[in-house]
Amino acid sequence: MKCEEVRLSLGGFVLGGLESAEAAEVRHHLTLCPGCQNELKAFERINQALEAAPPPIDPPSHLKDEILSRMRAEKLSSSDQEMSSPSGELSSRAELRFRNLRFILPSVAAVGLVAALVAIVALGVFFGLQTSPSVANIQLIPTEEEENYWGVAELHPQPSGNQQVKLELNNLDEPRPDSFYEMWFVSGEKYISAGTFTVTPEGRTEVRLSAPPQARDYHTVLITEEFALDATDPGKEVKLRGEVP
Amino acid sequence: MHSIMPHRVDELSDEQLMDHLAGKEEVGAALSALYDRYSRTVFGVGVKLLGDRSLAEELVQEVFLKVWRSSHTFDSSRGSFSTWLYRVTRNLASDSYRKRTRRVNPVSDKDSYISATRDSSPGPQEIVDDSWLSWRISRALEELDPSHREVIELAYYQGLSQREISRRTGVALGTVKTRTSRALKRLREGLAGRDNLQEVRR
Repeated sequence: MKCEEVRLSLGGFVLGGLESAEAAEVRHHLTLCPGCQNELKAFERINQALEAAPPPIDPPSHLKDEILSRMRAEKLSSSDQEMSSPSGELSSRAELRFRNLRFILPSVAAVGLVAALVAIVALGVFFGLQTSPSVANIQLIPTEEEENYWGVAELHPQPSGNQQVKLELNNLDEPRPDSFYEMWFVSGEKYISAGTFTVTPEGRTEVRLSAPPQARDYHTVLITEEFALDATDPGKEVKLRGEVP
Repeated sequence: MHSIMPHRVDELSDEQLMDHLAGKEEVGAALSALYDRYSRTVFGVGVKLLGDRSLAEELVQEVFLKVWRSSHTFDSSRGSFSTWLYRVTRNLASDSYRKRTRRVNPVSDKDSYISATRDSSPGPQEIVDDSWLSWRISRALEELDPSHREVIELAYYQGLSQREISRRTGVALGTVKTRTSRALKRLREGLAGRDNLQEVRR
């Protein structure tokens, strides 16, 4: 194999994508050619740097529109404030009325526009995230080192006062035989169970649970693995925890 | 200041777009163009730093609103837009990290078994240097020609062989090999030309 051919294939070689026969030829050439060895070292450094690359993922497509809407709403809001506080003394009631109208009319229009934009953004958030201002969103993170499971719990207040819990968990393993998971609200030494559940092996689980109204005053949430159905407080196997905002 | 015609936005440099933002000229078009260029990097680095896609989405929103609100503080004589944006991203990610840590750590004496648990994520300083490398490699990847980026993504992230990439893309095997080697060369050049860490810490 000549240097030109090796240089052509070196990228695929470094990334491990050559057929074994070709890879063997490249390897053989490299033992004899310091120039190609230098090229290989440079490529290997890049291959190593790629390990630090973030995942090649696009942000959700709605995000850009949300940002631009928020920017426009803020711009309108601030220009409205500027227009509502003109400086200078006025010499007569007529001038005052004229000046007020001059600033109030566009300001009313701007306020209306801001209100409309805010409503549009709020509706977007409502339909996009299926939440409302009264919904509490709790990030659940693992309590053990090196674990990659995580979750989100949403507390939806019901007309009865109970809290409906929409729980989403990712990457959590199935519980061991004869065990199950349980969600707890914790406040000091007081505990409320929101219910028990298991998870699917696919890696992502959604469950609906329910808790009494007072759960809203408990500020810590735990997900534990339990072995006894009649437990009144959480076992020691705490998998995830989160703080109620 | 000139008006940005839609067909001209792509021709403007990052720094020129920032001038438009600071000068309150065509801010929507300018911010939109910067978003198109950088949102994947901000989001990807955000996911790496925060370990959570929804937190990274919030980060993307806050970063680009900050770009707009703070455009007048950007000074191109002190460094590139990319470096400035990295600092904005890192600082906002650190804020988000601190908020999350506060939620994790409040422990009372009574919660003895809870106190045994801990947040084991790396500290903010530990993640800064790694995140700078992530940022640089992400920018180098984003600036590759799409055909070169494609072979790297298929080879590196999907683990396809050169022959499989050829079959998948319908591009001749020889061309795939050339593109892969050229892509790695361009990444090397791209990384060599990036701003240094001192500039980032300034």
